[in-house]
Amino acid sequence: MSRSNFLLGLAKVVVLLLCAGFVLGPIIATVLGGFKSTGDLRTNPLGLPKVRETQFYLDLITDPAFWRYMGNSLVISLAAVGLTLIVAAAAAYVFAQIRFFGSRFLLSYLLLGLVFPFATAILPLFITVRDLGLLDTYWAVILPQAAFGLSLAILLFKTFFDQLPRELFEAAYVEGCGYIRFFWRFTLPLSTPILATVGVFVFVQSWNNFLLPLIVLNSREVFTWPLGMMQFRGEYLTEWNRTLAFISLTLVPAIVFFLAAQRYIVAGLTGGAVKG
Amino acid sequence: MTEVRLSRIRKVFGAVEIFADLSLTVPEGSFTVLVGPSGCGKSTLLRMIAGLEEPTEGRIEIGGRDVTDAEPSDRGISMVFQSYALFPHMTVAQNIDFGLRLAKVPAAERERRVAQAAQILDLERYLDRKPAALSGGQRQRVAIGRSIVRNPAVFLFDEPLSNLDAALRNQMRVELAELHNRLDATMIYVTHDQVEAMTLADQIVVMNAGRIEQVGSPSELYERPATTFVARFIGSPRMNLLEGAVAAEHGAAICGIRPEHLTLTEDGPWAGTVTVAEYLGNETVIHVQSDLGDLIVRQPGQVRLAAGTPIRLTPDLSQIHRFDAEGKRL
Amino acid sequence: MTPPDKAATRRRPRTSGKLRAVALMLPPALILFSLFVIAPLLNAGYYSLFHWNGYGTPQDFVGLRNYERAFDHSIFWVSVRNTVVLLLVSIFIQMPIALALALAIYRKTPTNAVFRLIFFLPFILAEIAAGLIWSFVFDGNTGLVAEITQALGIPPVFILSNRDWAFYAICLVVVWKYFGFHMMIYIAALQAVPSELIEAARIEGAKRWAVIRHVLIPHIRPAIVVSGFFAVIGSLQLFDLVIPLTNGGPSNQTHTIVSYLYTFGLTRLNIGYGSAVGVILFVAAVIVAVLYQWQLNRERAK
Ligand SMILES: Nc1ncnc2c1ncn2[C@@H]1O[C@H](COP(=O)(O)OP(=O)(O)O)[C@@H](O)[C@H]1O
Ligand SMILES: [Mg+2]
Repeated sequence: MSRSNFLLGLAKVVVLLLCAGFVLGPIIATVLGGFKSTGDLRTNPLGLPKVRETQFYLDLITDPAFWRYMGNSLVISLAAVGLTLIVAAAAAYVFAQIRFFGSRFLLSYLLLGLVFPFATAILPLFITVRDLGLLDTYWAVILPQAAFGLSLAILLFKTFFDQLPRELFEAAYVEGCGYIRFFWRFTLPLSTPILATVGVFVFVQSWNNFLLPLIVLNSREVFTWPLGMMQFRGEYLTEWNRTLAFISLTLVPAIVFFLAAQRYIVAGLTGGAVKG
Repeated sequence: MTEVRLSRIRKVFGAVEIFADLSLTVPEGSFTVLVGPSGCGKSTLLRMIAGLEEPTEGRIEIGGRDVTDAEPSDRGISMVFQSYALFPHMTVAQNIDFGLRLAKVPAAERERRVAQAAQILDLERYLDRKPAALSGGQRQRVAIGRSIVRNPAVFLFDEPLSNLDAALRNQMRVELAELHNRLDATMIYVTHDQVEAMTLADQIVVMNAGRIEQVGSPSELYERPATTFVARFIGSPRMNLLEGAVAAEHGAAICGIRPEHLTLTEDGPWAGTVTVAEYLGNETVIHVQSDLGDLIVRQPGQVRLAAGTPIRLTPDLSQIHRFDAEGKRL
Repeated sequence: MTPPDKAATRRRPRTSGKLRAVALMLPPALILFSLFVIAPLLNAGYYSLFHWNGYGTPQDFVGLRNYERAFDHSIFWVSVRNTVVLLLVSIFIQMPIALALALAIYRKTPTNAVFRLIFFLPFILAEIAAGLIWSFVFDGNTGLVAEITQALGIPPVFILSNRDWAFYAICLVVVWKYFGFHMMIYIAALQAVPSELIEAARIEGAKRWAVIRHVLIPHIRPAIVVSGFFAVIGSLQLFDLVIPLTNGGPSNQTHTIVSYLYTFGLTRLNIGYGSAVGVILFVAAVIVAVLYQWQLNRERAK
């Protein structure tokens, strides 16, 4: 009994370690690859670098274009988060707090976005953005990004707001607090967990988004980092080490952010699972 | 001044009519308790006075002013909720202060009033705590504090004590009574607990299924219940109600007698057997099965009676309540 | 105010505060959503009836010809086939792996927490970064594949340029990228299974495997349905990984529906044609959503 348990445990650990190797191997090879000379990379793609070449990382860190890409992504993602949170929370609040004619219909309308993939309407979206004169501006990414995040955000917010005790609103209302003030003074401060969860999700989505910026941004001045990285890859086709250094530098904020926001990311997943 | 008057109130929720035609006057400065079984519409009535619900028809006046269409904050009322509804992200002081801020009371005045309320309610040490760090009784006091700082003409309470344990409930009851004496304001208080109603009120309104059964002082309700519903609802253990020949003997469809007006006697006219005798220290409550129906008898001190013991009872005939077939007092 | 003698007449409800809140707080969401989600969707249906390059207004009405063209285009069917392969891999390979790992590490211990973090890591990386990382790994000259072929002494293999194998390589990357996401969904559900249930089964003599089969898995069925839904929707939408790995090549053999739409619709400015493909994708997504809702209702009914 205990012997078979031990063997089972051992097998489990071995399998887990193999999986971990499969997951981490490419990532580690990427980070190390950024330190290798081209020749080294050819003969020894996965081992430790023979000579640690810091050149490629330094080149990138001192390249204003690299920072511009990162800066553009940051501005766009933060704006998308801010816009989604405020617009979705306000709408969800109305649905949770006020009963009015047509509210169920409007809610279903806003939740339509849960159903279909972003890509289905990407060409007409391009036309719309172009006709609004927004191509090559931050807004070209921010507005559609926020719009596509609305449905899920409204759903999660409304579920959360519905659970806030009704008497809280009534107590404030009796004291002369109106609907809009209650939203700012009570609903938002009491909803920080769900705001953080939704915010983190929108941020990650926006930060990683490729298709939308690809279609609406043409000028390098406004490129987000995924576009910049593809551009860079095209320029240094034979020098993998430069691209690897670029990728590695973008992994750092992703991993730091993930570790910091883990709680909310996982909460978001379970929220999604619970919501069904 | 601050009399509250409801005239011809009708209230429907969707297709359900809660009140058909209800009128009620709450005298100035009174402690009026609305009492009745759960679901009879007490909260709805209170919330209409507060302005949280709107009557479908009818009129509400507070202090002679028609407030039917007024916002809650313009009615000169304050309200304490069953769940207390304290604002969890604000400290005790901020909770108490909130309404004053909204009313744009000057800072110095606000501070004075908060301090005064804290002193009355013995909350001075807790002003900087968040509600989560308070005990149930303290939370209750904060909720009361929040309503007294605004100097309302009318206080509304919706089952404020039902979340407290028995000992704390007794203590808070005393404190509420003191508060009423001291503030000299009109208080309207909702409860389903008739003991709370009897001890606090100077006017009780007994409600049943959206109708008012009787309005009166505690002793009026106890001594002269207007309906069998009130007779049963007020008083514990409840009044014995008898139908048939005994009632007819007294010229009524139903007659009632309170447990303390029955005495154990050797040769009483009513016979029965004991089912249970509950000893409560100062008295004993005896449940009796008799030819007239089940009876409850209350005897001072300890009375030892085993189940099955045959006994005889003498009613105090001057204390018989008589009702007609509809349950109305004759 | 109503005069006293008309007290018992019907009154207009007091609504100004509510109206103001509705009027101020709802329109931003409605406008944003209508302008950037619903209008493009409706336009896709409209544009799909035209031959249009995106300039001026669509005038060359062609009826359903764009749809016919798509259904006659062999590469469109390649992209459909690829999407189906991806879907099957996601459901029959990725989800079982994710479930097995979830069962292995769902208990709250420090080592499990570390494994959980590691397995979840690829999910938070950008698709584009993951695609580049793996195109390096698959590179016949410098990558892991190169290392293996060198060790075996055989000539370099370029898997991503192989018509037959390139798409399976993409599937491998998809599994690498997303299994952690599915695993997390299962773990959350497994942690919510009441421990008394497991203990009760143990006391009745259930062995480890029996507990998993008869207690844990039935209990997390809803989570499995949810993750299946995500797997299907994700397969329908895959784009970002394809571009850095193969860009749809070689000879257009690795397109997914979205990369097909992008390549044959936007880069060639066939807005009408691309819109028609978008509408087809939309219909597929709606069918999936309806089936999912139907399955969910069945689960609830149990
Ligand atoms: N918002 C509402 N919508 C529909 N019915 C309600 C609403 N509020 C209360 N009711 C109904 O009105 C009746 C009276 O409720 P309430 O005033 O809360 O009773 P009480 O406080 O005496 O227990 C109950 O039958 C209740 O179900
Ligand atoms: Mg109530």
